Amino acid sequence: MPAKRGTSSISDANVLGKSLRVRGRLSGEGDLRIEGEIEGEVRVSGALELCDGGSVSGNVAARSVMIEGSLTGDVAAEGAVLIRAGARVTGNMNGAEVSLEEGAAFTGRIEADFELPDGLAGGGAGPRGRRAR
Amino acid sequence: MATVIGQGIIIEGEVTSDEAVVVAGTVRGKLTVDGPLTIEAGAVVEADVGATSLSLGGSITGNVTATDRVDLLAGSRLVGDVKAGRVTIADGAVFKGSVDMDV
Repeated sequence: MPAKRGTSSISDANVLGKSLRVRGRLSGEGDLRIEGEIEGEVRVSGALELCDGGSVSGNVAARSVMIEGSLTGDVAAEGAVLIRAGARVTGNMNGAEVSLEEGAAFTGRIEADFELPDGLAGGGAGPRGRRAR
Repeated sequence: MATVIGQGIIIEGEVTSDEAVVVAGTVRGKLTVDGPLTIEAGAVVEADVGATSLSLGGSITGNVTATDRVDLLAGSRLVGDVKAGRVTIADGAVFKGSVDMDV
């Protein structure tokens, strides 16, 4: 089933709506959806969604980050960073996995610092020794 | 979708919006809403607040200006001056400041 644009899997507890503008620092617990405009640092413990039409100028830290809008700043995620088609991103991405969809505009570095311990065999990564190097 | 600043969220800086805003978390700085503003019980706002209308269940430290009305609900706390056309202060609300009803 194709994921519909604009639908979200995260909780609606924290939504910064379309017409919202923040100049300053935002931090907190839980998930956050940004549809508005933020000039400043964003730091949340949960999932962060930067929706189509939303923009952030500043560094971003979250458990996972999904970007459909525009971001100027670095991203630090413990988990996945997903840059969707249509997103405009300038900055360095740092996450366990970083994916970049076709149609996204991206300028910066991608640093996916995943660990592949020897005991990984049997996990989802397939048999050992067959990893492309 | 309108804005919900949830319980765990802290914003330090200037917040403006052209539509309804609900605050359940913490805002420090300045909060300007061209629409109804709801500050829920447990929320902490240390900011000058401007809105069309304000429904206060939590705590504000700062001056409040509303073009329409301000309602201080039971259990709310406001330290600051209020400027609004209509003001209600419920039994159990804590308020320190002046009221200017623009007469």
